[in-house]
Amino acid sequence: MLFTDFWERLQSHPTSQYIGYSWWFPFIESLHVVAITLVVGSIMMVDLRLLGMTGLRYPASRITRELIPWTWGAFCVAVVTGIGMFVTRAPVYMENPAFQVKLVLLLLACANMTLFQFRTFRDVASWDSAAVTPIAARTAGAASLLLWAGILLAGRWTGHII
Amino acid sequence: MVLFEHLSSALTDSQAQVVARYLLGNVPGLPPIVQTLHIVGISAVMASIVMVDLRFLGVAVPSQNVSEMIDRLIPWTWWALPLNAVTGCLFIAARPSRYFDNPVFGIKFSLLVPAVALAVVVYQLNRKETGYWERTLPRRISGRVIAMCSLLLWIGVVLAGRWIAYWDYLFY
Repeated sequence: MLFTDFWERLQSHPTSQYIGYSWWFPFIESLHVVAITLVVGSIMMVDLRLLGMTGLRYPASRITRELIPWTWGAFCVAVVTGIGMFVTRAPVYMENPAFQVKLVLLLLACANMTLFQFRTFRDVASWDSAAVTPIAARTAGAASLLLWAGILLAGRWTGHII
Repeated sequence: MVLFEHLSSALTDSQAQVVARYLLGNVPGLPPIVQTLHIVGISAVMASIVMVDLRFLGVAVPSQNVSEMIDRLIPWTWWALPLNAVTGCLFIAARPSRYFDNPVFGIKFSLLVPAVALAVVVYQLNRKETGYWERTLPRRISGRVIAMCSLLLWIGVVLAGRWIAYWDYLFY
């Protein structure tokens, strides 16, 4: 495994030990759940709009502009709380196949979002209020829904392997 | 709680428990899959009632119309709740005493019942009279109070839900 020493040292850090053996772990984990449900809830609203299934009376750009900040805000909380849990058993998580799948899916979700933002969304003006969204936008929405469902599943599965 | 004791004794050693235990123990990956569906259900609540609450409080989606949002988004919760009931019941059926003898489970439901009741009130009054919550100042104020309560209750439900699993770990 890459950086084995680093993960070991991270785990043996007093802060990691303290989180792992106190009420901090469940506390952080429960905040993580609140954060990810807000991430998935808000991104799902955008994805369904991109698929042309919901919220059609609002332009896609407006739905995106108003909801994505909530996704990012909640995502930051999820990352911080996620790291808080990760450090308690860093080397074990790094070797956990479900955790590895989760990281890959997160990268794919990130790539999907970047591609959408810089390619499909650039000419949003031409399809903003259209009843049928372009195929690229629909693909991005569907991919995002599937990827986030996979991230939830892999995340939940991680806890079953530890 | 008497109701919990009755449910617990009815489920213990019942056919439902045998089936639930068999499924959770023998279908590969079933526990995390069912738990993920439960989390998807909570996400739908976040995109539904919680978003409406945030709109009421004036912090999210300012351009959307309150009345239209209630009408469009709250029904998602009416779909999420049965999904979460079914997925939750599978785990309860498998180990009834783990839940019914657990004070955190009681706390979760004492938060969930008023949270759902508030959503019903918000939804029904808006259905009866479009724009109900915006029409007068007292209604706008009560809308905000309800939204704040609802928001805190739902966050409490999710936190308590996660803490059910830690009850034994922390206090025994």
